[in-house]
Amino acid sequence: MISALFLLALRQSASPRRLLLLGAISLFPVGLTYLLVRLGEADQSGTVEAGLEGLVISLVLPLVTMVLASGAFGNEVEDRTLSLLTTKPVPRWSLALAKLMGTIAVAGPIMVAVSVVVTALPPERDGGVILAAAVGSAVGVIVYASVFTWAGLVTTRALAFGLVYVLLWEALITTFLSGTRYLSVRSYIIGIMHGMEGSPFNGDLAIGYTTAIMGSVAVTVLFFALAVRRLTRMDVP
Amino acid sequence: MTTGTGATIEVHSISKWYGNVVAVNDVSFEVYPGVTGILGPNGAGKTTLLSMMCGLLRPSQGGVRVLGEEVIGNVGLYSRVGLMLEHDALYPFMTGRSFVQLAAKLQGVKDPDAVDRAIDAVNLLDAADRPTGTYSRGMRQRIRLAATIVHDPEVLVLDEPLNGTDPRQRVEFADFVGQMSAAGRTVLISSHILEEVEALADRILLVVSGKLAASGNHRAIREKLDERPFVVRLMASKQREMAAALVGLESVESVRLEDGAIEVTTRNLADLQRSAPRLARDIGSRLYRIEPLDDSLESVFSYVVQR
Repeated sequence: MISALFLLALRQSASPRRLLLLGAISLFPVGLTYLLVRLGEADQSGTVEAGLEGLVISLVLPLVTMVLASGAFGNEVEDRTLSLLTTKPVPRWSLALAKLMGTIAVAGPIMVAVSVVVTALPPERDGGVILAAAVGSAVGVIVYASVFTWAGLVTTRALAFGLVYVLLWEALITTFLSGTRYLSVRSYIIGIMHGMEGSPFNGDLAIGYTTAIMGSVAVTVLFFALAVRRLTRMDVP
Repeated sequence: MTTGTGATIEVHSISKWYGNVVAVNDVSFEVYPGVTGILGPNGAGKTTLLSMMCGLLRPSQGGVRVLGEEVIGNVGLYSRVGLMLEHDALYPFMTGRSFVQLAAKLQGVKDPDAVDRAIDAVNLLDAADRPTGTYSRGMRQRIRLAATIVHDPEVLVLDEPLNGTDPRQRVEFADFVGQMSAAGRTVLISSHILEEVEALADRILLVVSGKLAASGNHRAIREKLDERPFVVRLMASKQREMAAALVGLESVESVRLEDGAIEVTTRNLADLQRSAPRLARDIGSRLYRIEPLDDSLESVFSYVVQR
């Protein structure tokens, strides 16, 4: 049953038009890094790491995940197809899980590939750094997917909500108010990358490795539970 | 399974409001095996009512039991109920067959022939492997119906199922509903067209402005609708003589001259339509036009509610 739901979610997420859009967004940091490397600007001084954190982790990753996850249920609500799923003897948690997995299955490989390419482009790059970037991105996709899947169920303006959240909270507030980093997905990602590989990533923004892992798990589980609760209680149009 | 009263669906004083807007207002009724029609004009609250009966909307007040079980939060009940809502929701990238297969998988149907049987029941096997995005409105309705019946539900709830269908499809649909009824299933059909419901349903629930205005068999509902007065405008060359002649008709309640025309109130529209040309000929007048002024379905329903 859940495999049928997952395949449906995957088919909905991976529409050609959407993949094209997400591909274009994702290629931007790759192109920029390539340019920096060609110009000789990227070296061990950390230019690429800063670019990775600033562009990929703070902007492209949440944006790509947001587009997919907010539409996972949001598009069903808009197209009025959600009742096709909710009037079946299917536990609500399996509906939410299938949608979450559908988003992760599409956004995950895209973002891991972008992070790996951006990290690996400069010469003499250490394998550990590349692995840390891949793992951090994968975790980021999972956490953001959970948050935005829930958002797609509670508001028809999930994209606007997501943009404000990403730009205001994740990119701005948590950068300047250090105490808020414990409630920041970006800080969790950087914390995990920093914890795995240490110095190449910006330690100023990092929180502890264990805290970052626990925070990631807690936020993912919390918003998944909220999505299931919302699915159980909402009026289905 | 039915309840102690034999009802498969029990609706107890349900209401639904959105802020100050009342969509359904304190409605109670029971539905039994066989075909029941919910009749009402567009916007009367039929879809809201059906959605609450199927657990898609939470009532603001009151409750619903289907097959003796509470509907809200009872996901398992959907294996015994089939629901097809009015809106034309499909996944356009799927073929008709894969759409019905998805429904079968989610319903846990084990019979490998169930999908083809359901598609055959709606006479769509030939087009089953085409993407639903290429279907006509009638075909979309039929494939949705196939997905709704693929698990052979005990209770079938269909919201405006004949929208977009042609006359041949309507006849086939009537046959299908008749078979379901004969098999002891409960079929609940909503429509805003009296003739549609009359042809299909043994019992009719008349819903107007979110309230249950009347219930009974189609004769009882038809009598209620027919006993209302009709206002008809006539245009003739000799207005005054024609008005005087119309007053003498037994079926005419009142006559008045208004804006160069004659407005007649009658409870027997057919008699007026038969008699008016004869009267005109008798007095040597030319009769240019006879037109009902308030023959819309909404005005008919409103009359029933106001009584």
